[in-house]
Amino acid sequence: MWQYRGLIKNLTIAELKNRYQNTSVGFFWSILGPFLLAIVLYVVFKNLFKQEENFAVNLIVGIMAWRFFANGTMSSLSSIVSKPSLVTKVYIPREILTLSTVLSNLICSTLEFVVLLPIIFMLIGKMPATVILFPVLHLLYFWLVLGGGLFLAALFVYFRDLSQIWEVLLNILIFCSPIIYPLSTVPAHLKTYYMLNPLTRLVIMYRDVMVAGKLPSLSDFGIVIGFGALVFLVGSFTFGKLQRRFAEAI
Amino acid sequence: MMDAIVVDHISKRFRIPHEKRTTLFHNVVGVVKRQFNYEEFWALNDVSFTVEKGETFGIIGRNGSGKSTLLKVLAKVLYPDGGWVSMNGRVASFLELGVGFQPELTAEENVYIYSSVLGMSRKDVKKVYEGIFDFAELKRFENMKLKNFSSGMYLRLAFSTAIHANPDTFLIDEVFAVGDEAFQKKCTEKINEFREQGKTIVFVSHALDAVKSLCRRTLLLNEGRIVSIGDTEKVISDYLDMLQTS
Repeated sequence: MWQYRGLIKNLTIAELKNRYQNTSVGFFWSILGPFLLAIVLYVVFKNLFKQEENFAVNLIVGIMAWRFFANGTMSSLSSIVSKPSLVTKVYIPREILTLSTVLSNLICSTLEFVVLLPIIFMLIGKMPATVILFPVLHLLYFWLVLGGGLFLAALFVYFRDLSQIWEVLLNILIFCSPIIYPLSTVPAHLKTYYMLNPLTRLVIMYRDVMVAGKLPSLSDFGIVIGFGALVFLVGSFTFGKLQRRFAEAI
Repeated sequence: MMDAIVVDHISKRFRIPHEKRTTLFHNVVGVVKRQFNYEEFWALNDVSFTVEKGETFGIIGRNGSGKSTLLKVLAKVLYPDGGWVSMNGRVASFLELGVGFQPELTAEENVYIYSSVLGMSRKDVKKVYEGIFDFAELKRFENMKLKNFSSGMYLRLAFSTAIHANPDTFLIDEVFAVGDEAFQKKCTEKINEFREQGKTIVFVSHALDAVKSLCRRTLLLNEGRIVSIGDTEKVISDYLDMLQTS
């Protein structure tokens, strides 16, 4: 993979350029959109969750974290199929196509969080020191998204209705994670099952380090690492098996 | 002499489904109704040969004889169902020119992308960058978006980038048989130049004259099998015989 680093870099940059080409405010759409959504959700829910501490800022952190998962997996899904000539006309390790798509999403998402920092500061009046753990969390998250992306991209070559299925699953998943509502609203008897969702733990960790100024719990950390490793192994194994016939199936 | 390419008992099977099934829904229906109908078809059947380093090697045959499939297996685009291929040195495949070109980006950006697809590092591209645009005669259009290029300019840019990639082995499908006469002449000159530099070239073509003038040895394929291999003159006469008798 190392010998292809130039290609990975070029494809990642090309992807970013393509995304924001011909838009007047470019990258700022990707911060404006979620921010407007957060304002709408805040207005709708502020009375319901008014006893929650830092509801507004937790909301926006949750939405930003969710976006990386949703956008990352959705765009990796078509990362192979959308570049047929790079699959059927020339040999490059096909993982590169998915990797560069997830990398461009990582860059976007990181920038979104960086823009978010002064907003957090404005809303809660301080900046927790634990925020320095953000890169660690984000890399861990990247690993998980890459694993899922490889799995989806490989399957999508053969099953084209996966994009519709995944869209529905994403819609279900956002309601199974504490993104638009606080964790405290989850009924106690369901909490054990609820915590099986690694995204729940990830979102909690983001809020811990970026808003509450707490160190994430080791068990959350361990479980997310374990889950990330599992998804990555399954994803790259599936991809490796299926990629042999990509050029025929595409 | 070292072998640049060793092909050992390569076979490639394609499945031709009776109905195309690319959705999960159709697959589920197929399993339930037990309708997994497909025909098998051997596009390549037990093909073995070697190409020496520095040799220009031709592959000829009728349409559908497996030429392009063979080239795609050599390029690692297709995965063989049997046998193995070993390639020495850096290989660049030209099954199509301008692979990875993106219309929304500028000519400069596309040259960097295409070169890296062909296996060049950024440092190597910088060295030949001026040469690429000089050869393509497109220096003025360096910062223009590719979507505004005419098809001729597009082709010149792609070709010029491709020939500056400097691999050890070239796999060429009839891509160079495009463009006007002047362009074709340039291509033939370039291929001759590569031969003199001792590059290995595998060349798939229907243009028997080009094969005759370029290749010392040639391979004739029919229905996925080797019909004859060896001296170009002899193989071409075998091919013409085959066309007449069938």
